[in-house]
Amino acid sequence: MSYSLEIPESVNSFPKIRSTNGFLEWISTVDHKLIGIMYLWSALFFLIIGFAEAMLMRIQLAQPQNSFLTPEAYNQIFTMHGTTMIFLVLTPMLIGFATYLLPLMIGANEMAYPRLNAFSFWMFFFGGLLLYFSFLAGGAPNVGWFSYAPLSEKFYSITPGVDYWAMSILIMGIGTIGAGLNFVVTTLTMRAPGLSLTKLPLFVWMVFVNAFLILAAFPVLNAGLVMILIDRLLNAHFFLAATGGSAVIWQHVFWTFGHPEVYILALPAFGIASEVIPVFSRKPIFGYEFVAASTVAIALLSFGVWAHHMFAVGLGTTFNAFFAASSMLIAVPTGVKIFNWIATMWGGSIQFKTSMLFAMAFLIEFTIGGLSGVGFAIVPIDWRLTDTYFVVAHIHYVFIGASLFCGFAAAYYWFPKITGKMLSEKIGKLHFWVFVISFNCTFFVFHILGLLGMPRRVFTYPDLPYLGSLNMFSTISAAVLGISFLMFIWNIFYSLKYGEDAGDNPWNAWTLEWLTSSPPKPKNFNIVPFVKSRRPLWDLNHPEDPDWKRKNKK
Amino acid sequence: MNKNKLFMLVFVGSEAFFFLALIISYVYYSHPGGTLASTAKYLDFKKTLIFTLFLVSSSLTIWIADLNLKKGKRKALIGWLIATIILGIVFLFGQGSEYARLITTNVTVSQNVFGSAFFTLTGFHGIHVILGLIVLSVLTIIVMSRKFESVESTALESAAIYWHFVDVVWIVVFSVVYIGAII
Amino acid sequence: MQQFVNFFTNLFSSASSEAYNINTLFLRYMILAGFIVLLVTSLVIIGAFKYRAKKNTKEPEQVFGNQKLELTWTVLPLLAVTFFFFLTVKTMSEINRPFQKNEKPDIVIIAHQWWWDMRYPKYNVETANELHIPVGKNLLTRIESADVIHDWWVPELGRKIDAVPGRINYTWIDADKPGVYSGTCSEYCGAQHAWMRIRVVAESQNDFNNWIKAQQKIPSFPKDSTAIKGAELFQTKTCANCHYISGTPADASIGPNLTHFASRKTMLSGMLTNTDKNLKRWLKDPQKVKRGAHMPDFLLSKKEVNELASYIEGLK
Repeated sequence: MSYSLEIPESVNSFPKIRSTNGFLEWISTVDHKLIGIMYLWSALFFLIIGFAEAMLMRIQLAQPQNSFLTPEAYNQIFTMHGTTMIFLVLTPMLIGFATYLLPLMIGANEMAYPRLNAFSFWMFFFGGLLLYFSFLAGGAPNVGWFSYAPLSEKFYSITPGVDYWAMSILIMGIGTIGAGLNFVVTTLTMRAPGLSLTKLPLFVWMVFVNAFLILAAFPVLNAGLVMILIDRLLNAHFFLAATGGSAVIWQHVFWTFGHPEVYILALPAFGIASEVIPVFSRKPIFGYEFVAASTVAIALLSFGVWAHHMFAVGLGTTFNAFFAASSMLIAVPTGVKIFNWIATMWGGSIQFKTSMLFAMAFLIEFTIGGLSGVGFAIVPIDWRLTDTYFVVAHIHYVFIGASLFCGFAAAYYWFPKITGKMLSEKIGKLHFWVFVISFNCTFFVFHILGLLGMPRRVFTYPDLPYLGSLNMFSTISAAVLGISFLMFIWNIFYSLKYGEDAGDNPWNAWTLEWLTSSPPKPKNFNIVPFVKSRRPLWDLNHPEDPDWKRKNKK
Repeated sequence: MNKNKLFMLVFVGSEAFFFLALIISYVYYSHPGGTLASTAKYLDFKKTLIFTLFLVSSSLTIWIADLNLKKGKRKALIGWLIATIILGIVFLFGQGSEYARLITTNVTVSQNVFGSAFFTLTGFHGIHVILGLIVLSVLTIIVMSRKFESVESTALESAAIYWHFVDVVWIVVFSVVYIGAII
Repeated sequence: MQQFVNFFTNLFSSASSEAYNINTLFLRYMILAGFIVLLVTSLVIIGAFKYRAKKNTKEPEQVFGNQKLELTWTVLPLLAVTFFFFLTVKTMSEINRPFQKNEKPDIVIIAHQWWWDMRYPKYNVETANELHIPVGKNLLTRIESADVIHDWWVPELGRKIDAVPGRINYTWIDADKPGVYSGTCSEYCGAQHAWMRIRVVAESQNDFNNWIKAQQKIPSFPKDSTAIKGAELFQTKTCANCHYISGTPADASIGPNLTHFASRKTMLSGMLTNTDKNLKRWLKDPQKVKRGAHMPDFLLSKKEVNELASYIEGLK
């Protein structure tokens, strides 16, 4: 007697929501493609909310000593903005793309554990709802997205906001761990015949390595969350110095998660760039092995840099020096990839599709963000710039500059595969230019505000020279940034209705997902060709010059 | 490697980081002269050592159970599975009595940082034991209720990986907390 | 152009060796960072245009990599970071100068939710929010917190250092020229983190000594009848339960020391200038002025506000 369970396939690629069972099909689906799509829609939904929170902050900060928001309201909003963008926008966006694409790119028909896949999504979704429920339950968390103790202890934060924050992140984190488990097992056990680990598309490789980061970092976060909850709800003493606890250990535990977390949000973005740039340059990625190896280096090093968030705590020159060294070291594998991507472009035949525009802009924006980050590794510079708007500039140049820019590049690149329609290039280019210009206008001035001494997380600031004008400039630019989001949303809805048919492989790309129809049938592949190189479709289309025939690839 | 075993190995590797964070925090708090170091003297080393042996032997019994599964010996399989579960329950009973004794001596999670760290660390270990016992019970019931022919199932092997993990974590926790209290 | 130069100079002005060293290191790094940004931007833009797809082109030459090139662009950044690592350690050591284990601090700063307690143990002086220091002296400063994590930062004088509950930090404060230097709490500490500003007055040794002497004086009992009523109210309205005034029964340290409140230029940690109008606004409705502050509304009548203000303004 066999105990294998058949997973029922739906008939349509997209169950229609308004049809009899359509809604039920969506919420009960274990199909990785539908789950991926739900992740992406959720990310977009929370992006709008997170942006609204940012806009409220920007309005309050447009003028010195403004009274648009009370300090209480502002402090909840900045906390929710950070928490939302990281856990409810960037994470599901990148996990969504990974969930959708991973099986397709390795020639598999499903993830290793489809039900765990669905569980991961719904944990994320309900975690998000729980977080926002806090507004109605006595107050949203108001202690910053990293919730330093003892400010986050009950005595200093009596509203249940921090409890909701901790519990919702626990729930979302468990979902994310489930996703990580699925990515690892799927990649290791379900690759198409011939597809060895060294032939993996770089997006898959990065998602795979990233999954290990998730699996190591999120449990550490969970430990910290459990400790703060037990402190708050059971009157424990983990972070209260007066009774033997330690405020600093929260920082150690949190940042041991927090630093790998930012790489968790960056590696899949690097993977996206590694797919998009070669295809639109019509050349393979320059230095595949190098890019793949540097990813592993980053993953390993990322657990050894956490205390660069703590240079001002006063832990001593030796301690600081160690983390300065490790933080500067990790900059190298992160940064050299930029040169690999540029070298991929050089000598190519570059198509200025919207996706490629976002990828090229990413190269520049991430360089700025990365360099401002390395500046912080230089401890005395950190002693001037930490906790000022210079950090806010840095984090937005990396989070938006890498994760979101590559997210848009991914959207324009894979939308045809996912939906069968092309996104409008006209609207896309408008979206791109409005976005990139307003993004830089909004955030570049933050570098200057930081140098002028404006601290972060302040609901207002004194009327000192230039603070008001720079803030006002940023606020106006932020409004335009919001308009660019609307353009993107418009593009989606317009193209779903009127977009031209995509066909299987509109970009003439080379990885296995482009072998399926657009959108793929519920069962991704009936047959997968034996994979002989990193670009199976190039081999199929160029039988006279396949990759696997090239002996000397350098 | 088999999908399910791989999954379980990666999963316990991930959970190890959770316990590592709690263990390292415990060590951080146990600097000499602190409240943790002094309150840890209330722990009952001898009794807990005995209950530890019960847990360790349950790793042996589950291994034997798996051997029987591979040989197709259904009755022996069920017997050794039940032995594993009983040993696990005895361990939990021992934990419970240690908790009860400490609480009546006013060593609680809210008393001081020892209580907070001790009950959190051992408590989460205990939760993992309970979850393991549930999984083993379900497996036992499945084996008992069907005519068992397949020896290819990796369910028991995967569960065993988890169970061994729970055992190893306890050995580390016992060393850090109980042996650490005596040193 | 001149405005730009002024702006730039002000951005990197410093009044101590620590701040100067920090700024120098930053500017050096900016040269490297600026170069890299320009390099990457030019390569991307030039590359995009030089290699843009032309009509009817075949696929370009499929190049897979170049180990020599990749090695070069790994080794060069490694050398750059090694160089900056050494500068980092050097500058850190210059700023974190050692001190004797049992050396008594010149200044003790205790951070509170949303004000700074400042003490001079060697002179038996305590004040709040406005720190006076003599020019040219290196003052060993102890930094503590009474509640949550705060951070002491005066940009022109040097580094940031956290005030952590349960932990004692030390830093050096020194100014090489007289002036008024503005700073702010730099670790989010709750509702009014934005208004926990710092005012450091660096003056000649002579002026500093006079300031110390004035701070050591015990304020005499007021002569004006309104102020006398105010002095009584200070005790009966329980202000004394939180605030310290030398020479009176008020000796609590929950709120800022008010002994010489009237000598300070600003109030509420730099939020408002210390004027009669502002003081009365604050006394009338603290929560309206600095929402979330730990001072409750004592529901004082207008008359009581006037009397208290009159008393407090006498505390020079």
